[in-house]
Amino acid sequence: MDLELSDEQTWLGESVETLLAREWRPAAGAPYGDEAQRDRLWRALVDFGALTVGGDEGLGAIELCLIARALGTHLAPVPYLASAALRYAVEELAEGDDAFALALLEPGSGWASATPRTTIDPTAAGDVLNGRKVGLEHATAIDRLAVSASGPDGAALAIVHARAPGVALTAQPAFDATVPMGAVELAAVEVVGGPFTGEALDRLATIGALLAAAEAVGAAGRLLDDACRYAGERRQFGRTIGSFQALRHLMADMYVRQASSWSSVLYAAATLDEDAAEAGRTASIAKAYVSRAAREVAHGAMQVFGGIAVTAEHPAHRFLRRIVVREQQFGDAAHHERALGRALAADAVPEPVV
Amino acid sequence: MRLIASDSERALQDEIRAFLAAERLDATRLPRSLEDRMEVLRDWQARCHGAGYVGRAWPREFGGGGGPASEQIVIDQELAAAGAPEFVNVVGLDVLGPSLLRFGSDEQRRRYLPAILSAEEIWCQGFSEPEAGSDLASLRTSAVERDDHFVLRGQKTWVSWGQFARWCGVLARTDETVPTHRGISMLIVDMRSPGVELRPMTQITGHAEFCELFLDDVVVPKENLLSERGDGWKIAMHTLGHERGTAALPRQVKLRTWLDRAVRLAAERTLDGERLIDDPQVQVGLARALIGIEVLRHHAYRTVGEFLNGGAVGPDSSSVKLLMAEAEQRLAATALEVLGATLQHAEPAESAENEFWYETYLYSRAATVYGGTQQIQRNIIADRVLRLPKE
Repeated sequence: MDLELSDEQTWLGESVETLLAREWRPAAGAPYGDEAQRDRLWRALVDFGALTVGGDEGLGAIELCLIARALGTHLAPVPYLASAALRYAVEELAEGDDAFALALLEPGSGWASATPRTTIDPTAAGDVLNGRKVGLEHATAIDRLAVSASGPDGAALAIVHARAPGVALTAQPAFDATVPMGAVELAAVEVVGGPFTGEALDRLATIGALLAAAEAVGAAGRLLDDACRYAGERRQFGRTIGSFQALRHLMADMYVRQASSWSSVLYAAATLDEDAAEAGRTASIAKAYVSRAAREVAHGAMQVFGGIAVTAEHPAHRFLRRIVVREQQFGDAAHHERALGRALAADAVPEPVV
Repeated sequence: MRLIASDSERALQDEIRAFLAAERLDATRLPRSLEDRMEVLRDWQARCHGAGYVGRAWPREFGGGGGPASEQIVIDQELAAAGAPEFVNVVGLDVLGPSLLRFGSDEQRRRYLPAILSAEEIWCQGFSEPEAGSDLASLRTSAVERDDHFVLRGQKTWVSWGQFARWCGVLARTDETVPTHRGISMLIVDMRSPGVELRPMTQITGHAEFCELFLDDVVVPKENLLSERGDGWKIAMHTLGHERGTAALPRQVKLRTWLDRAVRLAAERTLDGERLIDDPQVQVGLARALIGIEVLRHHAYRTVGEFLNGGAVGPDSSSVKLLMAEAEQRLAATALEVLGATLQHAEPAESAENEFWYETYLYSRAATVYGGTQQIQRNIIADRVLRLPKE
């Protein structure tokens, strides 16, 4: 066993932090930035190699999680999660620097649907997609869509161009303004990649859950840091509020939640990189834990900030919003707890107790 | 990061499994009487030491294996996974032994360490006092220097295994003139000395595994001072951090075996014709207990990883301790809720399991108290990790 990050991994984490601190400085009151700013940030990430995934030289799940955590720390509005997760899960998509959106959710269905209503239909000119998808991130800024659909061999992932004939994108209300959401109508849209089945879909669900969790850990870490700093400055009753034990213990608990969340994400990422059989289960554990823990950290931070954190201009709610959005994706705590519980029950072999 | 066991680690695992298969010690069938149990457990630790499984990373010259710390972790986890009993000289192995290794003279290390490993000499610790619990630095037991010895006077409490111990690591005040924690020294006390008196205390589980210790003008030779006068606090803090950090890995394995036991039982027991485990709420409860245990493992791996690569066990051991207590208490409370009414059925065939879960539940309440309370751990994190202001 060797349980520490390598020097290269530590360097990567620090470098992407530096990159974001330099390239992502939205003006106060405009957290989503303008299009030129967002494009420059995305370019910088691509040039940095953040999409160089897989193979001997490319990034593994641990590295992707390090990058995702930094994006959460800075609330960067980039289509990274989908673009990185797809490259990790589907080898054929690793080439190039296209930005992707994942089109997995459908109205009325959850994250583990085995029978999407969107269909892959064979025609004389090749496969086409028909259906409706929701919850696509950054849909106006991406090049291709990865769509889950029912094909002749069951559920599969099919790739289409975002601006192909038959693709109708519309904006959806977004809880987090830095993660704009869209819906898409697909009417006989030409399939240009896949369909990818089986293992690719499982791997996508696993890495997606981990990257979502890693972003939430980053956002929670930023809130923890900011809350600790504020508690060291703000004075009431003639003392800094960080000296009150009620708040010190609250922040200590926030630290434990945030630090152990990161441990859990890293462990699950290492399990996935090693292709271990329990990778899916370990990711479920991490996602279930982080989903609750990151939000707890955000709640604690808002309590430390007090009334000011309830104002729109204070950044706390933006981090909370990112945490909530990532909590909902790839299964929330309840989703994974149910799945883990079912697995425990299925594995239980009653034995006579001595 | 590398989670997969290396070839040598896998070979070690195989070796331990073969050893355990040959030994066939059943931890669930230990003698009821404490004296008899003690003998079985001493013998068990001695045999494990003979096989090279105790003090794997301690230096060879002091009876250890001279191996990497990661091997001891592999060993502890394998033993816990097989349900083997914990080593009975746990205070010597996890608390005083590491203190002696780090702060003891060569003579002290040669004298005491080999017998700690073989369980020939059991150790206890005399830290807490009736008036000095969380506020350990306020302890009042005094050690007055006279000629070639100290005279020790005071009262200690929560002395685990005191009635079986040959030696006790006692924190005592040697200097009244300096701030509280600077005047404390660590003395090695021979439990056979005149003036040492023990009174076992019965715990809520019904066992009497710890004692009150009365020290009435006990003479302690000067060569039994560990490190320098006034170093006691430093030694205790080093040691407690060590204990918190490294104990978590075998502990989480043990918790996992308990969870598996609860899951098996829930699959076996029924209420009104339904298996307990088929209730979705039971499944989710068990899943949450599993998550607590697994996250403890992930976090302990990361913090211990830093330690294995040469770093000190730092204040992050407090976050491990908090997660460990939380995981244990959640598991125990979950088991109680899952088993529910079946705990009162009290059929003879069921009573042994019921007794186990009642005892596990009751003892789990100690997890947020011993080794520094939950509140003390939060103080440590607030001070030393988050560096929050004190006023």
